[in-house]
Amino acid sequence: MPERRVAITGLGAVTAAGIGAEVLWEALLQGRSCLRTIGLFDAGTFPCTVAGQVEDFSPRDFVPKSYRKATKVMARDIQLAVAAADQAVKDAGIVTRAEDGNNMTYAPGRLGCNIGAGLINPDLTELGQAANTAVADGTFDLRLWGEQGMNNLTPLWLLKYLPNMLSCHVTIIHGCEGASNALTCGDASGHMSIGEAGRWIQRGTADAAIAGGAESKLNPMGLLRQSLLKRLCTGRNDDPAEACRPFDTDHDGTVIGEGGGLVILEEMDSAVNRGARIYAELVGFGAACDPGGVDITRPTVGSLDVAVGNALKDAGIGPDDVGLIVAHGTGVAGEDAAEAEAWAAALGQAVGSVPAVALTGTVGSLYAGAGGVETIVATMALHTQTVPPTVNFTAPSDGCSLNLGSQQRSGPFDYAVSGAFSVGGQSGAVVLKTYQP
Amino acid sequence: MNRKRVVITGMGTVNPLGHTVVETWQGVLEGRSGAARTETFDASTFPSTFSTQVRGFDLADHIDPIDADAHATAGRYCKFAIAAAYEAWAQSGLAGCESLAPARLGIYLGSGEGSLDFDNFISLLVDAWDQGQLDTRTWADLAFERMDLYREAEQESNMVVAHLAAAFGVRGPAFNTLTACAASTQAIGEAAMIIRHGDADVVISGGAHSMIHPLGVTGFNRLTAISTRNDAYETASRPFDLTRDGFVLGEGASILIVEDLEFARARGATILAEITGYGCSADAFRITDQDPAGAGAAASMTNALADAGIRPDEIDYISAHGTATKQNDQVETRAVKSVFGRDTTVPMSSTKSMFGHLIAAAGATELITCVLALRDQVLPPTTNYQHPDPDCDLDCVPNTPRKHAVRTCMSNSFGFGGQNNTLIIRSCDDGEGNR
Repeated sequence: MPERRVAITGLGAVTAAGIGAEVLWEALLQGRSCLRTIGLFDAGTFPCTVAGQVEDFSPRDFVPKSYRKATKVMARDIQLAVAAADQAVKDAGIVTRAEDGNNMTYAPGRLGCNIGAGLINPDLTELGQAANTAVADGTFDLRLWGEQGMNNLTPLWLLKYLPNMLSCHVTIIHGCEGASNALTCGDASGHMSIGEAGRWIQRGTADAAIAGGAESKLNPMGLLRQSLLKRLCTGRNDDPAEACRPFDTDHDGTVIGEGGGLVILEEMDSAVNRGARIYAELVGFGAACDPGGVDITRPTVGSLDVAVGNALKDAGIGPDDVGLIVAHGTGVAGEDAAEAEAWAAALGQAVGSVPAVALTGTVGSLYAGAGGVETIVATMALHTQTVPPTVNFTAPSDGCSLNLGSQQRSGPFDYAVSGAFSVGGQSGAVVLKTYQP
Repeated sequence: MNRKRVVITGMGTVNPLGHTVVETWQGVLEGRSGAARTETFDASTFPSTFSTQVRGFDLADHIDPIDADAHATAGRYCKFAIAAAYEAWAQSGLAGCESLAPARLGIYLGSGEGSLDFDNFISLLVDAWDQGQLDTRTWADLAFERMDLYREAEQESNMVVAHLAAAFGVRGPAFNTLTACAASTQAIGEAAMIIRHGDADVVISGGAHSMIHPLGVTGFNRLTAISTRNDAYETASRPFDLTRDGFVLGEGASILIVEDLEFARARGATILAEITGYGCSADAFRITDQDPAGAGAAASMTNALADAGIRPDEIDYISAHGTATKQNDQVETRAVKSVFGRDTTVPMSSTKSMFGHLIAAAGATELITCVLALRDQVLPPTTNYQHPDPDCDLDCVPNTPRKHAVRTCMSNSFGFGGQNNTLIIRSCDDGEGNR
């Protein structure tokens, strides 16, 4: 029995470009950077003050009326996921519980949810207010905290910060009672979530799924940690739009972006039968690991070449079939170099001719949100047979043979590959194909 | 084409009852309590002053000191995972196995986040507090003086994967899931799926977690999810007992080597058990409560039974999620009855009565007890059981282990937020008496 096929039918992105996949796609085609000086908090004394911030975002707009109150117990990461899910579901035109629980397109038990997440940072103002009620002689006193201070935190405080709450809130809002997961593998999380959800559909565990990832490191703890890792661009605070330069000869660090990218995956026959618009087909998934990733001071790309190779093999295609690469391109010099090498190892000669694109110059590094957004861009590129330019790419960095462009290009191409890797050394990649009945 | 069969060939654990599988199983059979006054920080004024901690643990006792040095920056719970993984790896006999290519060796863990650098973290909130607000400029200046790169970076939950990948030279698929209390059960289930799909021959699976730190205990105390029976902490974890008042927070790590049966046979491995069923579901109900009807939990069990291709009456023992919260144990009982029938006599015990709740590491630890139950034909007890609850009236194997013919076990884990996972394992013979 042939494996069931997996269609991509809905796209939901929330990024610095705005709400929705369309506005992201427009920004990419226009070659526009959405990076700005950080406005969510005063980051003036941090070495990097640039970020890809989601502006004018009100999570209440993306949940049913009855669920608006619940947005208060959602960390921003969760809010981004909830908004991206809303966009993806609407884009696919499927009916979920959010619209009508009695007339869902897919039975609740057949609808899965797989959303990647990062380490969610507690809101420092909220915690600070409580902590400062437990101070004696100018220092925090744990005994006072235990007696009284902790009671200043809302009882549900912990639930704001559990990484599975991205998927849990989405399952509740949309009535996804099928298979459910919350992967936490840094930047590789999104591709892994989409790949794993695709496998659920292939093997019959689910008929449809909401999959991808979301994260916001745009808070003092997130910014601190990325600074300590020395991954951020610190020399372009006066010129935010130019700060993140994937694979460019002048790259010198990445920029934190917040974002969520979720797609709707459906079993192909079900999608066709309901007359869905099918953007593309998910045909391959691979994952891999670099045993050297534990050394966090050394750039690693998680054996991305192995992940891409596994994904191509899973799709049953060779390097010459690949028509588009959506690279991860963090803009960290060592990572760009290792990534370019990995793509070259996986694709051989083809790497120099296949058009490639990286998104970080436009929206920054999206961490657990990256894979979903990168998959969305690969999907749009296949669907429209258009490759957007790579913002801030002027000339290739040393050893980079990826065929990136500063201008828009067009197809034809049948297959797109997208992959990403985490600090720590895990990688994931997916292969998409233009839809053919 | 028949699907690939998946087996367990190695196990290791560090938990409140022991630092090895042997010590742990002895503790379970003795019905020992892992609970004690919390020692890792001063919890004396917290609503809950006790927990089930791992005590007296030193990674260098478990692995070559040189190897231990390589993991010097690892967080406390990550060190538990490393020790457990070395134990599991040794039992599997995979060391030096030439037929295992690094790209065919994967990892799928359900590991929690590392604990905050609490003292520095909290002092920053006080020292950078200005007129009712956090001054983020001052905060940053002080944070760069006080905070340590490794202490911060090791908090990302994928770093346990990174340490195990380094220890065993892993180049294959490497995942971490954090579906709260269900994480390591889910990890083992999805690891089995990776092998069935043919993406790896061997996957190092399981989980690790410690939330026994000031903010972890704060979080659970605020949720009123953990027991506050400070005057009787040794008997505080009372699954299915009428007087239960919440779970006891624990910590630990358990690792299982999950392997393609054909690959294991070809290398002459000792097979401990076969993973025959995996089920997964979501309550999609509320983040604060379980679905009172237990429909999500029941779906998880039903999905696992369907995956294993067996009927409920073929299950000889259930390792319960059994947290000892008022709600969980009642909902779980209802869910089991809805799948197994109102009058089912299937024994279902909760070893959380002894281990406490190891959160992300709970499911893998409990699955190890299931494998040992199959081996020794004995059911682990639910200890601290004195007062029957009419809403939890299944046979919970009260207080003492029981000799019992057991060939197939089910292990349940239900996460905060409503993600449910079930595994079914059976004894290692192939149905024709061949090991």
